[in-house]
Amino acid sequence: MFKNINNYRNKIILLSVMWALLLIAVFTWSVLTGQYPLTLKGLLSGDTMSIMVFKRLRLPRAIMGIIGGFGLSISGYVYQMIFKNPLASPDVVGVSSGASAGAAFAIVAVSSLTPVVSISAFAGGIIALVITLLVAYLVPGRNSYTIVLAGIAIHSVAQTILMFLKLAADPEKQLASIEYWIMGSLNGVSKDSLAIPFFVTCAGFIIMTLLYRQILILSISEDEAAALGVNVTILRFTILMIATLIVSSIICVTGLISFIGLIAPHIARLLTKRNDRFTYISSGLAGAIIMTLADIFARSVSSSELPVSIFTSLLGAPLLIILLIKANKKEVS
Amino acid sequence: MKNFKRLTALFLAMLMLVFTVACGNSTTANKGTEETTTSAFDVMSQFNEIGVSYPLTVTDQAGRTVTFEKAPEKIASSYYISTSLLLALGLQDKLVGIEAKANTRNIYKLAAPAIVSLPNMGTAKEFNTEACVAAAPDVVFLPMKLKATADTLESLGIKAVVVNPEDQSLLEECITLVGKITNTAGRADALNNSIETFLADNKANVAGENTPSVYLAGNSSVLSTAGSKMYQDTLLTNAGGKNVASELTDTYWANVSYEQILAWNPDYIVIAADATYSVDDILNDANLAGCNAVKNKNVVKLPNDIEAWDSPVPGSFLGSIYIASVLHPEKVTKDFYETCVTKFYESFYGFTPAK
Repeated sequence: MFKNINNYRNKIILLSVMWALLLIAVFTWSVLTGQYPLTLKGLLSGDTMSIMVFKRLRLPRAIMGIIGGFGLSISGYVYQMIFKNPLASPDVVGVSSGASAGAAFAIVAVSSLTPVVSISAFAGGIIALVITLLVAYLVPGRNSYTIVLAGIAIHSVAQTILMFLKLAADPEKQLASIEYWIMGSLNGVSKDSLAIPFFVTCAGFIIMTLLYRQILILSISEDEAAALGVNVTILRFTILMIATLIVSSIICVTGLISFIGLIAPHIARLLTKRNDRFTYISSGLAGAIIMTLADIFARSVSSSELPVSIFTSLLGAPLLIILLIKANKKEVS
Repeated sequence: MKNFKRLTALFLAMLMLVFTVACGNSTTANKGTEETTTSAFDVMSQFNEIGVSYPLTVTDQAGRTVTFEKAPEKIASSYYISTSLLLALGLQDKLVGIEAKANTRNIYKLAAPAIVSLPNMGTAKEFNTEACVAAAPDVVFLPMKLKATADTLESLGIKAVVVNPEDQSLLEECITLVGKITNTAGRADALNNSIETFLADNKANVAGENTPSVYLAGNSSVLSTAGSKMYQDTLLTNAGGKNVASELTDTYWANVSYEQILAWNPDYIVIAADATYSVDDILNDANLAGCNAVKNKNVVKLPNDIEAWDSPVPGSFLGSIYIASVLHPEKVTKDFYETCVTKFYESFYGFTPAK
C-alpha cells in the first residue's frame, strides 16, 4: 500500500517535471515562431516595431495557446466526469453549435469585425447552455442523461439556425468568414482579446479545483452525493455553467477548436490511471501543450494561416482511435 | 508684296513651330494621360458590325460543346459577371432570368432596373433548375461551379454555357464567347479592345515609376488577402503596384496573420470593394499601427457604387486605373480616372455614373 503511494508520488513528481519541461519548450517555440522576423537583437535594441509585434501579437498568441488548451481541456475533463461519458464535450450541451450560430448571426446580420463576432458567439454559447439546462430542469426525474438528451436537441436546433444563416450568407464574404470561424484559429489574437479568456479560465479553474471533491462524488454516484447532503441539481448546474463559461470565453476569441477537450483528459487518465486532482490539472496541461503545438503548425506550415483544428484533429483523431481500441480490448478480456 | 507674303508665311510657320516645341516641353509630364485620353476613348465607341453565322458551334469555358441553330432571343444568367457582361453587350431586353440577390447589385439598378424583378435562377450554391426551365431561355450562362447543372439543363433541352472569367485573358475569352453566341460580336470586340487599350496605356503611364507595395485586404476580413493566382493580383500589377502577398499560391482568399502584414509592411492597403469593414477600421486597428500604409494613412477602399471592380467583371480594368490614380497620382490623375468611368459606362451600359 505504502509502496503504491510512494510509487504514485514519484509518478506525480516525474509527470510534473515532464509537464513543466514540455510546457516551457512549446511556449518558447511558440514565441519564436511567426511571420515577422523578430530577433533578440531587435528587441533588446529597442526597435519599436519588433517590441510592438512581440508585445501585441506574438506573446499574447503564445499565451492564448496555453490558456485555450488548458481551459478547453479542464472543461472537457469536468464534462466527462459529470456526464459519466468519456466522449462528452461542449457539444453535448449545445455550447459549440450555439456559439457557431451566434458567430454566424453576427457575420450575416451585423458585422464580421472580431469584437462583434466574439460577443455574439459568447452569447450564443451561453444561450444554448441556459436553454439546455432549462429543458433538462423541466423534465421530471432529471439526471445527467436528461441534460445530454436536451443538449442533443438544442445542438440540432442551433445547427439548423447555422445552416439557415449559411444559406442566407453572401458566398464571397460572409460564408467564408463563417466557415473559417468554425474551423478555429488563433490568428486574430492580440493583447486586447486576451483579457476575458485569461480571467475566466483562471477563475473557473480555481473554483473547479476547490469543488473537485464534489465533482468526484457526482461522477461516482448521484444517490451517494444526495445522501451526503449535496444538492445534486444545483451543484451540477453550477459546475456545468462554470465549465461552459470557460469554453465560451475561449472559443469566442479563437473560433471552434475540436478534439482538445475530448482527448487531453484521456491522455491525462492514461498517464495517471486515476481520477484525482492531479489528473484534472494534467489534462489541462496536456491540452495546453497540444493546442500550442497545433497553433505552431497552423502558422508555420505555409505562408498563409491554416485553421488550428486541422492540427488538433490530426493529433487527436488517431489518439482517440487508439484509446477506443484499447478500451474495447480491456472490456473483451 | 509677294516677298512680304512669303516672309509673313515663313514667320507664322516659325512661330507655330516655336509654340509647338514650347507646348510640347511644357506638357511632357501629362503626355501619357493625354495620349490615352484620345486613343482609348475612341476605341470605346467603335462598334463594328461582325456577322455571326448560324448554326454556330462553340466550346464553352468548361470545354463543353454547344450548338446554336439561331441567335438566342431569350437569355438567362445565373452569375453576376455574365449578367453584367450581357448588359455591356446591350442585351438587357433579351434577359428572362438572372441570379439571386439581384437587388444588391448597383449596376443593375443603374443600367437596367427592370431586370431586378426578373425570375430568380438561384445562386451558385442553390441553382433553381425548375425556375430556369419555367423561364425557357434559349441559352443560360452559368459559372464554373455549376458545371454539373449545365449537363442537367442540357438533358432538359436548355442550352447551357459555362463561363469562367477567372483572369484577364479568360475574361476576354468569355466576352468573345458570349458576344458570338448572342450575335453581338462587334460590340464584344469593342469591349475587348477598350479593355486592352486602357490596360496597355495604364501600364505605359506607370512604367518606369517606382512600384509601391500594396496589401489587398479581402471582403471578409482585413486578414484575408489574394495571392498571385487570383485575379486581384493582376489588378494591382496593372495599376503599377506590387502585391505583397504574391508569394501566396492559394486560389481563393488566403488568411494571414497581423504579423505577416507587419512583416510585409506595405506602402498601401487597398480594401476590396464589398468589404464589410471600412478604411477607419483599419486606421484604428492598433495591431496595424506600425505598418507604413497606416502610418501614412495610405488606406483606400475600392469604389463599390457601380460594381466591384476587384471581381472580373467587364469594367474591372477601371479598378486598375483607380488604384493607379492612388499609387501614381502624378501620372494617372483622378480626373482621368473619373472620365474613364463615365465614358465606359456611357458607351457600354448606357448610363452616366454620378461623380
